[in-house]
Amino acid sequence: MRKWPVSLLVIAMLALVIAGVRALRQEPLYHTQSYVFGTLVDISIYGEPEDRATLLANQVLQDFQNLHNQLHAWKQAGKGQASELGTLNTAFASGTKPVAISPQLAAMLTEATDLSVKSQGLFNPAIGHLISTWGFQRDEFTAVRIDDETIKALLKTKPRMTDIVLKDHTAFSTNPNVKLDLGGYAKGYALDMAADYLRRQQVKNALINIGGNIIAIGRHGDKPWRVGIQHPRKPAAIATLDLADGWAIGTSGDYQRYFMLDGKRYCHIIDPRNGYPVQHTQAVTVLIPPRKNAGVLSDVASKPIFIAAAEDKASTAAMLGIQYFMVIDQQSNIFVSQALAKKLDWLDPEVNNNRHVKLVTLP
Amino acid sequence: MLSLLRSPEPTFRHLLIGDWLTIIFSAVITAGLFLTLWSHELASKIQIRVGDKIQATYDLNQQRDITVHGAIGDAVIHINQGKVRFSKSPCHNQYCVHQGWLTHSGQVAICLPNQISLELIGAKKPYDSLNY
Repeated sequence: MRKWPVSLLVIAMLALVIAGVRALRQEPLYHTQSYVFGTLVDISIYGEPEDRATLLANQVLQDFQNLHNQLHAWKQAGKGQASELGTLNTAFASGTKPVAISPQLAAMLTEATDLSVKSQGLFNPAIGHLISTWGFQRDEFTAVRIDDETIKALLKTKPRMTDIVLKDHTAFSTNPNVKLDLGGYAKGYALDMAADYLRRQQVKNALINIGGNIIAIGRHGDKPWRVGIQHPRKPAAIATLDLADGWAIGTSGDYQRYFMLDGKRYCHIIDPRNGYPVQHTQAVTVLIPPRKNAGVLSDVASKPIFIAAAEDKASTAAMLGIQYFMVIDQQSNIFVSQALAKKLDWLDPEVNNNRHVKLVTLP
Repeated sequence: MLSLLRSPEPTFRHLLIGDWLTIIFSAVITAGLFLTLWSHELASKIQIRVGDKIQATYDLNQQRDITVHGAIGDAVIHINQGKVRFSKSPCHNQYCVHQGWLTHSGQVAICLPNQISLELIGAKKPYDSLNY
């Protein structure tokens, strides 16, 4: 038998060692991205065989698609049929005759109404007419001519969640001007739904991101899941933090859906008190500790804080029971609650240099 | 070393246990160094996704334009020596183009209407997912 030169043996051994370490380093991490809800959905599952992770992720995406079809505020669900929410809105507008709704939608409306009341109306999913007047109920919206008269008239009709009467799986509205738009609620609801589903399927570790709202299950191997918070004016993260099991994070920003008119930015977050887009705030981030509806809160709770005036932001957070929040105002000043500040690692060099970060104490 | 290659057999036969240990030890060290040092030298890359598929991954250390067919039309992605941006997009609001240059690992730019996303990939991922 012919013997190999030592140098060849060494090279072969090297290759084996490198290949072995590479293989060991291959993480059992499954990652998928998809476009649902008119936004980007990003699912990571850790520690499951790839085929099972694929099946689970596809089921979650399918559930999201169904929810989207059920709740879409301005699109037909298909074949000339309005979504369940669209049908309900038509019924609200045409009278006070109760119409049948699914138990799922009834539960959503109950929860959304509770949160609307708790936020003293700053979270108000009943102002669909205002939102469509501003042109945000379109996939590709353009700058609208601002119709002050229509806005004034719509404000006078005072659509509120408490105008809706739910009884025996039916619903009607005492106010024909109520038009539901669950855009500030549905993604959060979907997060809770997906997290519940994956936990029921014995998934121990996953990270679900729907259009920027994130909920964590378990960990990323031996470390917690780590998320970045987007800078509202740069294509980069401003800070990172660990998202432990059951925690959720959500941001409302003026940079996600907006149009510019005469050098002014009009974002999709509308102050229900005056009917105009909020212009004093760039972003509000809330972090929600584990609880039953952490996803919903991560979606909903940032809105009232975003809408509230600077001096009312901390009290609005307190009113909603939010301990962990960050506000970035129009001048790019950063205000962070003490509880959240302890968890953040700043990435933005400007923040690190100037330290123009103010700590906010909850009232 | 040259003589080693030319007449391998006698040398090979006379290797003792200590020689083997030395060879194995140096092999492990070299492999370790390769894995730690080499991976950091790897240039950052740009990963382009269209819909739910990874379309392509490109080296960032070059200058080139890449045309990507998205859901509503062709977008142009411009790579320029370590940075990347959407330079043209058929979408209405042009948020993706206004995002500007991405430079650091973990940064993303998304064009929702055209369903194209860019992500910068480096040796280390600074976070698992982005809250926005």
